[in-house]
Amino acid sequence: MYWVSVVTEAGIFAILALGLDVIWGWGGDFDLAFYSYLALGSYLTFVLTIGKPTPPVEYILGWHLPVLLSIMVAMAVVVGLAAVIGAIALRNLRDIYFAVTTLGAASALYLLVENYTPLFDGYNGVYGLINPGQTALNLTYNGYRIAFLVTVLVLLFLAYLLVQRLSRSPFGRMLRSVREDERASAAYGRRVFGAKYRAYLFGAALAGLTGGLFAIFISAFNPSAWTPQELLVIYAAILVGGRGNPRGVILGVFVVYIGFIELTRYLPSPASRPDFGPAMRQILIGLMIILMLRFRPEGLFRERPGLDRDPASTPASQRAAAPTGQSSSPQTHPRGDEGATREGGASKAGRRRAGDRK
Amino acid sequence: MTTFLVTIGIGLSTAAILSLSAVAFTLEYAVSRVANFAHGEFLTIGAYVAYSGQAIFHENVAAAAAIAAVAGAAAGLALNFGLIEQFRGRSAITVFIATLGVALIVENVLVIIYGAANVTYGFGQGKLHHVGPFLWTTSDIEVIISALAVAGLIYLLLPRTRFGKAVRAISQDRPRAQVSGIPARRIIMQTWALAGAVAGFAGFVLADTVGTFGPTLGFNFLLLTITATVAGGIGRPYATLGGALIVGLALQIAGTYTSSAYELVFAFLLLVLLMLFRPNGVFVRRSAVAVRA
Repeated sequence: MYWVSVVTEAGIFAILALGLDVIWGWGGDFDLAFYSYLALGSYLTFVLTIGKPTPPVEYILGWHLPVLLSIMVAMAVVVGLAAVIGAIALRNLRDIYFAVTTLGAASALYLLVENYTPLFDGYNGVYGLINPGQTALNLTYNGYRIAFLVTVLVLLFLAYLLVQRLSRSPFGRMLRSVREDERASAAYGRRVFGAKYRAYLFGAALAGLTGGLFAIFISAFNPSAWTPQELLVIYAAILVGGRGNPRGVILGVFVVYIGFIELTRYLPSPASRPDFGPAMRQILIGLMIILMLRFRPEGLFRERPGLDRDPASTPASQRAAAPTGQSSSPQTHPRGDEGATREGGASKAGRRRAGDRK
Repeated sequence: MTTFLVTIGIGLSTAAILSLSAVAFTLEYAVSRVANFAHGEFLTIGAYVAYSGQAIFHENVAAAAAIAAVAGAAAGLALNFGLIEQFRGRSAITVFIATLGVALIVENVLVIIYGAANVTYGFGQGKLHHVGPFLWTTSDIEVIISALAVAGLIYLLLPRTRFGKAVRAISQDRPRAQVSGIPARRIIMQTWALAGAVAGFAGFVLADTVGTFGPTLGFNFLLLTITATVAGGIGRPYATLGGALIVGLALQIAGTYTSSAYELVFAFLLLVLLMLFRPNGVFVRRSAVAVRA
C-alpha cells in the first residue's frame, strides 16, 4: 500500500506539472502563484463536500455536493481566480516582474487564508474527506485506494493526450513563438496577451483538478501543505524531465518524486534532529535546480514542438515565416546543441546558451 | 492622534530597516541585472552569525552588528562568484530561478545548523524615549540612526567616488564600461560585498527589532524588500529610500487600523497594485522603460 500511495501522489503531481509546463515551458512565464490554484481547488473541494462545520471549526459554504461535482465547481472557481491574477500579471509584465507579481498575489492569498479563520479555518485547515463514495462503490479501504490510483493514472493519461495534442496544435506553436520572440510574433499578427492568457487559464484548470484529487488523496488540507517549496519541487521536476516536452515532464515528476524524494527518506535522520532529513531533501532540490539550469537547461528530454504540416510552406518559406510559430524542422539546424527547440533562433543562439529560454 | 504618531514612529523604524535591505537589493540589481532571490538569505545569515557571535562578544551590540555585516559581505561575494558570474549571459529569469534554488539551500543549511525553531537575542530593547512626537525604544533610535548613516554613506559613495562612478557606468552598460577601462569584474565583486554587508547588517537589526527569529526570517522579509524596491523603481538606489519609506509607513498604518495579522496582506496587495500601475516606481511619471521583454 505504501507504493500505491507514492505512485498516486506522483501521478497527481504529474498532472499538475503538465499544467505548469504549458504556462512556463511553452509560454515562458515563471509563475509563482501556481500552487495557490492547487490549494484553492483543494480547499473548495473540501468545503463543497464535507458538510456544515462543527464549532469551533469554521469554514464557508459547508455543502454536501457529490465529490465529482465539487471538483468541477472548484476548477471553475480556480480558473476565475487565475483569470484575475493572469489579467493583472500577464498584461504588461514579463520575466521577473511577472514572477514577483504572482508571488505577491499568492502570498497575499496565503496570509489571508491563514489568518482569516471564517474562510477555511485558518491555520488548522479543513479535513474529513475520507474516501468519498467508498460505500457506494462497495470497496474496501485498500480497494478504494487502488481504484483511486487507477483513476489518477487514467486522468494523467487523458491530460497527457490533451496536452500532447495541444502541443502540436497551432495554439501550441503560437505560444512557443510568443515565448521566443514576442515582438516578432505580434508583428505577424499573433495576439500575445490572448495566447499567454489562454495558456494560463488552461494550466490553472489542471491545477484546480489536481487540487480536487489531492483533497481526496490526503483527506486534509491546511496552509502548511502550501509552502513555496512545494512549487519549487514541481519546477525542479519539469527542469529534470525537459521543459516543454510533456512526456519528459511526466517522467521528471516520477523521477523526482519517487526516485528522489522517496529514496532520500532513507537519509539518516537522528531522533535528536528531526529537521535533518526534510532539510537535506530541500537542499538537494535546490542543488538540482541550479545544476540543471547551469549544465543541462533543456532537461533529459528535449522539447519537440510540432512540425508544420501545411503543404504550402516549403523549407525556405518556413525559415522566413519562423517567428509566426511554424517551427523549423530539426534539419534546418543540424547542430543539435543550439537549434531544434528554437524557432528561427540561429542568429540568437550565439548570444544565449542553448535551451536558455525566458 | 497619539496612536497615529506612535504608528508613524514604528513605521519609520520599519522603513529604516527596509531601506537598508532594499538599497542592497537594488545595488545588486544595478551591477548584475539580477533580481537576487537569495537576498533574503544575506539577512538571515547576518542575523544568525550575530547570534553565534553573542557567546564571544557577550552583549556588545556594535560587535554583533559588525560581524553580521562581515558575514553578509562574505555571502555576497560567494554568491556573485559561485553563481551569478557562472550564469553570465543567461536570461535574467534563469538567474532568478537559480538564486531561488540558492535561497532554498541556504535556508535549509541554517535549519540543519541551528534547528528550525526560533532563537532569541539577549540584547535589551532599552528604555522608551519620547523623541518629538514619537515614542521609540533605544534600539529603535539606534536602528534609525544607523540606517540613515548607511544610506548617507551610499549616497555619498555613488555620486562622489571613483568606485561610485564605476558602479553607475556598469549599471548602464557593462561591456562599454569595460571597454573604457573600468575593471568591471572587480567593481562588481566589491558592489556585491558592499550590498551583502549592508544586507547582513540589516538582518541583524531586523532580528534584533523582531526579537525572535528563525531560518525563514530573510525569506519572509524579501517580498517586503522587493515591494519597497519596486515602489522606488528597481535599480535606482536613490529612489529606493523613498520606496522604503512609503512601504514601511503603509505597512504600519494598515496594520494598526485593521489587524497586525493583515499588515503583510496589505503590503503584498500594494506590490500587486504597484506592478499594475507603476511598475517602474512611483517616482516615474509614465512607464519610461518598457517592462516587457
